[in-house]
Amino acid sequence: MPNLFILTLQLAVVLAVCRLTGELFRRIHQPKVVGEMFAGIMLGPSLLGWIAPHFSSYLFPVNSLGFLNALSQVGVIVFMFLVGLGINPRELKKQGHAAVLTSHVSITAPFVLAAFLALFLYPRLSDDSVSFTSFALFMGSAMSITAFPVLARILSERNMLASRLGTVAIACAAVDDVTGWCILAYIVVLIRSAHSSTSIWMTTAGLGVFGIFMVYGVRPLLRGYERVYKAKGELSENLMAFMVLLVLASALCTEYLGIHLLFGAFLMGAIMPKQRHFVRYVLDRFETITVTLLLPLFFAFTGLRTNIGLVKGPQMWMYCGLIILVATAGKLGGSTLASWLSGMPLREAAGLGTLMNTRGLMELVILNIGLDIGVISPALFSMMVIMALFTTFMTTPVLRLICSKELDESSAAIATKPAATDSLGLNGTESVA
Amino acid sequence: MPHTSRNFVVAYILLVGIPLLCLAGVLKAGRSISAPVSVDGTWKIEADTSSLAGRPCGNALLAVSGSSVVISQSGKGLVVTSNNPAKTPGSGLIEGTNVTASFQTSTLASAGCNSDSRVIITAAVNPKSEPRTLTGSLIASDCASCGTLQFHAWRQPKAQSGGSH
Repeated sequence: MPNLFILTLQLAVVLAVCRLTGELFRRIHQPKVVGEMFAGIMLGPSLLGWIAPHFSSYLFPVNSLGFLNALSQVGVIVFMFLVGLGINPRELKKQGHAAVLTSHVSITAPFVLAAFLALFLYPRLSDDSVSFTSFALFMGSAMSITAFPVLARILSERNMLASRLGTVAIACAAVDDVTGWCILAYIVVLIRSAHSSTSIWMTTAGLGVFGIFMVYGVRPLLRGYERVYKAKGELSENLMAFMVLLVLASALCTEYLGIHLLFGAFLMGAIMPKQRHFVRYVLDRFETITVTLLLPLFFAFTGLRTNIGLVKGPQMWMYCGLIILVATAGKLGGSTLASWLSGMPLREAAGLGTLMNTRGLMELVILNIGLDIGVISPALFSMMVIMALFTTFMTTPVLRLICSKELDESSAAIATKPAATDSLGLNGTESVA
Repeated sequence: MPHTSRNFVVAYILLVGIPLLCLAGVLKAGRSISAPVSVDGTWKIEADTSSLAGRPCGNALLAVSGSSVVISQSGKGLVVTSNNPAKTPGSGLIEGTNVTASFQTSTLASAGCNSDSRVIITAAVNPKSEPRTLTGSLIASDCASCGTLQFHAWRQPKAQSGGSH
C-alpha cells in the first residue's frame, strides 16, 4: 500500500517546484519544458539529495518511488498518444524531394555519428551484458529523435508554421520521430528476446500482424470519431472513455508482444483521424491533467534517476561534452547541410537544423526506456539527460540569432499570452515537450 | 531522367546511402570491441563469520554477511550500496575480472567502535558462471583485529523490466 501522506507530499512538492521553475524559464524566453526538466533534476540526487540527503530520503523514500513512477508512466502513455495524434504522415508527402532528403539526412547523420561515438563509449561506459549492436543502435535512435511537440510550439509562437521552414521542419520531425520509435522498438525486441523464451521472429511477426490490424482494421473504424465530431461538434463522455480504453488496449498489446507500452499508445495516436479541429478537440480534453499533473511527475522521476555526481572527473565530463558535440553536429549540422544542398538559403537551413536539434521530453522518454532495459548505464543516462537539456536549451537563443526578426514578433505574442493555456503546442499554445 | 531528379538521386546516395553503409561497417567493427565484465545488479553475500566471534568491532562484517549489496555499473566505475539506513553509496572499480570497492554499513555501536564502518571488498568475478559469482575478501576499516573475511556472493536474477519499469 502506498503511504498516502508521502505520495501527496511528493505530488505537492513536484508540482510546486516544476511550476515555479517552468515560470522562471519562461521569463528568460525558454520553453517551459526546459524549466520542468531542470526542476526534476533539482529534486533528485544531483541537487536535493546532495545538499539535504536526509530530507531527500524522507521525501522520496525508495519504497515510494514505484507509485510515483506508475503515476508518471500513465502521464507518458497519454503524452505519447497525443504525440502520435499530432503527427500527420501526409505532411511529408506534400513536400518535395528537398524535404524527403532533409528528413532522411536528419536521421542518418546523427545516427551514424552516434554509432561512431559508440565505438569509443562502449568499452568505457557500458558492460558485457549489452551487445555493441544494441548499444550503438540505441545511441543512434536517442540522438536522432526530435521533440516534435516543442518544435511545433516554437514554430507556432514565431508564426512560422505556414512558412517553408515551418512545413519542412514539421514534416522532418514527424518522420524522425516515427523512424526513431521504430528503431527503438526493434532494439527493445532485440534485448528483451535475449532474456525471453519467445524468439525474436515470433515477436516481430506478432508486431507485424498487430501493426497491420491497427492500420487496416482499427483505423477505418476510428473515422467514426471524426464523423460524430463533425456532426455534433463534440464527443460524448462515453466516446472519450472508449478512446482512452483503445489507447490502453493498444499499449497493453505492444507490452504483451514484447515491446513497450508507449509504442502502442503512440501507434493509436498515429492512426487517429487527422482533421485539424478534431485533433485540437481531443488534445484539449487530455492535455490539462497530463501537462499540469502527470508529466511533472515524470520529470521528477527522471530527475530522481539522474545523478550528475556520476559524471565526475575531467574524463567523464569530456565524454559528456563529446556526446553533446556529436548530437549537435549530427542533428543540427546534418539537417542544415541537407536542406542547404536542397536549395534552402543558408540562414533558413541553419534555422531548420537548430529546430531539429531540439530533443526535450521525447529524449527523456527514450532514455528512461534505455535505462529500464539496461542498454545504457546510469552514468551514460545522466550524460544523455544533460545533452537533452543542453540541446533543448540552446534552441531558442540560437534561433534568436539566426531568425531574429521572426523572434522579435513572437516575443510580443508570448508576452500577451495567458499563462494558463498549457498544451502540447500543436496549435500554438504552451508546450511541454 | 530529369536533371533535378538525377541531382536528388545523387545527393540521396551521397548523404543517406553512403552513411548507411558506414553504419553497417561500424556495427560490424564494433562486434570485436569488448566492454568490462558486467557486475551490475544485486549480490547476495555469504561468509563464514565464525572467526569474528569475540571481536567487538566485527559488527560491520557481520552485517554484510547474509545481506545484499547493490552494484550499479557504468563501464569500469561501480557504485555500491549496502543495507545502511541512509543508503550512502560507496564506490568501486572493475579491472578485468577483479573488483575493488568500499562502502559504508551501519551497525549497532559497540564500545570503542565506530557505528558507521567502512567495508572494503576485494574480489574476482567469474564471468562464465550463471548466475555470476564473486569470490574474495572483506575488510572492516576500523577493525584491525578482524583480519580479512573470505566471502562468496552470487548475483540475483534481474526482474523483467516492463512498461511499468
